[in-house]
Amino acid sequence: MDCCHLLPDSVDMGLIMVDGEGRIRLWNRWIEERTGRLASQVRGVTLAEAFGPHVDPRIALVVREALDFGWSARLSHALHPMPLPLYPPGGGQVERMKQSIDITPVQGEGGPRCLLQVRDVTETVRREALLKQQSRQLRLDLLRLSQAQVELQRSEMRFRELARQAPAGLFEADAEACCTFLNERCEQILGHSLENVAGTPWINLLPVSEQARVRAIWCLAVASATRFAEEFRYVGPDGESRWIRAEAGPQRDGNDRISGFVGTLLDVTEFHERATRNEFRANHDGLTSLLNRDRFERHLRAAISGAREVADRMALLFIDLNDFKGINDTHGHHAGDTVLKTIAARVRRVLRSEDIVARYGGDEFAVLLNGTGDPETLDAILFKLHQAVGLPINLGHCHVRVGCAIGVSIYPDHGSDPLSLLTHADKAMYAAKRARYAKNDPIAHPSAQI
Amino acid sequence: MRTFSELEMDALTEAFNLSLGEAASTFSAIVREEIELSVPTIEIVSREELTGRLESAQPAGATERLCRINQHFCAAGGFQTDALLLFPEHGSLEIVRRMLGDDTAIEHITELEQDALAEIGNIIINSCMSSLASLFGSEMHGSLPRVQSRTVHTLLDDKAATDVILVARIGMSMAAHNLHGFVLFIMDVPSIEHFMDRVSRYFKLQLHDTGERV
Repeated sequence: MDCCHLLPDSVDMGLIMVDGEGRIRLWNRWIEERTGRLASQVRGVTLAEAFGPHVDPRIALVVREALDFGWSARLSHALHPMPLPLYPPGGGQVERMKQSIDITPVQGEGGPRCLLQVRDVTETVRREALLKQQSRQLRLDLLRLSQAQVELQRSEMRFRELARQAPAGLFEADAEACCTFLNERCEQILGHSLENVAGTPWINLLPVSEQARVRAIWCLAVASATRFAEEFRYVGPDGESRWIRAEAGPQRDGNDRISGFVGTLLDVTEFHERATRNEFRANHDGLTSLLNRDRFERHLRAAISGAREVADRMALLFIDLNDFKGINDTHGHHAGDTVLKTIAARVRRVLRSEDIVARYGGDEFAVLLNGTGDPETLDAILFKLHQAVGLPINLGHCHVRVGCAIGVSIYPDHGSDPLSLLTHADKAMYAAKRARYAKNDPIAHPSAQI
Repeated sequence: MRTFSELEMDALTEAFNLSLGEAASTFSAIVREEIELSVPTIEIVSREELTGRLESAQPAGATERLCRINQHFCAAGGFQTDALLLFPEHGSLEIVRRMLGDDTAIEHITELEQDALAEIGNIIINSCMSSLASLFGSEMHGSLPRVQSRTVHTLLDDKAATDVILVARIGMSMAAHNLHGFVLFIMDVPSIEHFMDRVSRYFKLQLHDTGERV
């Protein structure tokens, strides 16, 4: 019996029981705490009297149905948020507690009764609101993510198309220089597809002579996180040699470390060849391919300072062809050109490769012999030169011979600067020319047709 | 098993329609929006037949779950029935969320939504029950509603295979939403006999009162 009295006050929900007349018979402690009214104050009164006018009218309806027809009913929080004026205990009567109410008929000894079970769903409502808010947020995040994915795909497609059409080779490589991407042009330049070279550092594809230099520059760019820019020679699988210029910028990973490089490869072979040709033209005589006067004088200055440092001797020779003008006049300029080219080749052949030979003027040649100062060696060289120049020259329709006069000046005997050495050699050459005329040397005379 | 005459069916349909009209106006008052509820057909089928029919109504491979709201009723004299309200889960959730003014798409039904569905089922079942109760002329004691989510296949697993089912197909429409469901009264053989007997007596009485002949 005691237990029956204790039970309603022990449960964590509101219990109200009304009899067939609609009068309150049970009002548990849970309800007392949330209405501020004691059971003793409400026993025997109706729900309307106990709660006042602010009760959801549906409560009265379903209580009546339970008493009259024996039906149970549920008043959900969703459709009836706060049907009874109940307030959180100790919170002041500010905002009604969120409720869910079950109304069930009870058959008792004293006729039909109706039990109202009230649950506090405040926490459930809060939890579900949070859940829905998270769900909305997730949906929004998902939407953003999928939009970003679409944009990424579009951007990727754009990049692929641009890379496909780009006239330059585009590549991406990791920090170890292994390629992770090559566009079509890049594969064309290298003569390899990406899958052929993916596992190997691209520097290994270069000629062995280039590898150490380029690798050092690459490593420096990785270590200092700076741009890599270098030109190097490359021999493709077809055996063709070409010049390539690579430029690349560093890429960083999530930890701000250098993860690799992305950049361009250009085939600069043509540009290189043109530059080499231009440089050759600037320094060489177009007809004989010997050094020109300007370049020769620069060599001379360098040689003088070199010889000065090691206290060496060297000889400067001036070679002037005899009666070259006569050949030009007689056989034409084309024949004159042939004579000059032949003489240039012969002089070049007679001398060592380190000796410098230049076409100094119209029919004048200059020679710089490093480390050659003693008279015996010099005489031997002069003799060979005279012999070589004096051999017959085939002009196609006839042969001609030319002689030459050679003037010599020795560093440091005849001067220690270019001008004095050149002046001395020039004078010596004219002196030799005069001496040969005087001796009526056949080789020194105007060229004789053979 | 005997069946209802066409006349009895029509009268039952009409009785349910009146009850559902009441339920609809109760709803409309609660959610302040016009809601229509109607009963187009009533029939009596076996458990297997109903399960088979529900399965064939679904597209092949569909795994749409049904929301099942269940209340048990018993009357003096041993009559008892399980009243079930069935709605496609997705559609019923949409209606509930619309009623609550919240369209947040959460895949699973929440506790408060389940409570709201229980109340909706409760109103519809109680109103249908009022039609039946007036046939019996006695009190029908009803339990609280219970909400469950089930596949068609396992929908009636907890009911005996020999049970007979009075099926009322109902339509519910609210704003742009149209939802079709079923109210089922599942009875054991003695109960259905008892029920049929009551129905036939009731209508005989009605016909007698109005002076018509069967």
